[in-house]
Amino acid sequence: MRAFEDYCWRDILTPDMTLVYSAYERERSVNAGSAVLVIHPDGNLDITAQPGWAKAAQKLVDAARAQGLPIVHSVVPGSDLSVIEPAPNEAICQRASDSAFLLSNLEAILTRARAKGVIICGAPMSGAVRATAVEAKSFGHKTAIAEETIGDEASLLLKVALFDVAHKYADVMSLDEMLPLVRASSK
Amino acid sequence: MTMSPAPASWEDVLDDELRGLLAKRPERSIEGKRPVLVAVDLYDLVYDGGPLPVVDLMEKYPASCGEFAWAALPGTIELFAAARAANIPIIHVTYDTRLETDPKKYHPTNRKRRQPDLALYKIKDELTPQQGELVIYKKRASGFFGTPLSAFLNELGADMIYLIGESTSGCLRASVIEAVSYGYPVAVVEDGCFDRYPLNHKVSLLDLHLKYATVVDLATATGAMRAASTAGKA
Repeated sequence: MRAFEDYCWRDILTPDMTLVYSAYERERSVNAGSAVLVIHPDGNLDITAQPGWAKAAQKLVDAARAQGLPIVHSVVPGSDLSVIEPAPNEAICQRASDSAFLLSNLEAILTRARAKGVIICGAPMSGAVRATAVEAKSFGHKTAIAEETIGDEASLLLKVALFDVAHKYADVMSLDEMLPLVRASSK
Repeated sequence: MTMSPAPASWEDVLDDELRGLLAKRPERSIEGKRPVLVAVDLYDLVYDGGPLPVVDLMEKYPASCGEFAWAALPGTIELFAAARAANIPIIHVTYDTRLETDPKKYHPTNRKRRQPDLALYKIKDELTPQQGELVIYKKRASGFFGTPLSAFLNELGADMIYLIGESTSGCLRASVIEAVSYGYPVAVVEDGCFDRYPLNHKVSLLDLHLKYATVVDLATATGAMRAASTAGKA
């Protein structure tokens, strides 16, 4: 796997920042039997930072479907579900807070699905994806994110949010690094 | 409470994209007749080693926010005094150190830890809870997660929350988001928030201001507390 800091936030890193956060450096992985959680954004948001996130997320979802992994869609009233279309057997969970867990039945869905971890994709990274990742960690889920599969309204917000999450809450890697781990997995 | 102009603390990270988002930011009320002040994780551990640069303290004091923690202390002391003078309840949120509540040590974040002296989770002396003030003990990021904080806010009849604490990008941020999700107007008092590195602090404050709450400066908060006090409680 690439070096811990060798991801999209690398251009905002300073030597001091790397040093201050060095204790968070660790081995990263994806648990076999993880669920994929798609954070569908509000359609009114202008996701201009990494607008290709949905194509990358679709690849992740396709790979997870091929493995029979649980897929859950977190949606808000303004979400455009044609972007990453839920399959008929996939749970759709209304999001009433930026955390997909808070005020929803997501935790129950994951437990019933016997999910062994959570892979999160979607937008915006600095909003619902981050809030969801923080709560996923709080709930004790092994959490992972592929850096291409998230988008945001602003580049700096995306990078700092992904940096914060990568250090404190979730294992962040590239999609190329994640797909083999997903393909080796099964329910 | 009238809103202060956008705080200057994030000024130097703004680019055109962010200025555009700030311009689109909706008005967000921080009015409330029964405000509460919630202070998150202001324990000795994050002040340990003194007001020095974090990079200098890291080796011996890996959890310390050093100079940033100490810079926020006078303003926090002033905010506590203003709240108490105005009969605004202060709720202290801190970490539950009882060993039996986490014998296998599932930590709230992924930081590799040396086991700190648990006594360092005592709230900073200058901010010590007074007789009758509520202390909430938590095990995870948000002050609400796994705690009765919501219930106490209801019992206090709280309708607005001033939030401060650390880290800005961690437990403070998570607490703000959960408070807003539960329907509370939240004013984040920037002088009372700190982190281990400026960029993460500034960008989290900006996120909180853009998406969830209203970031205000100390003068705005203490002024509003004094005004509420002289106006009398409803």
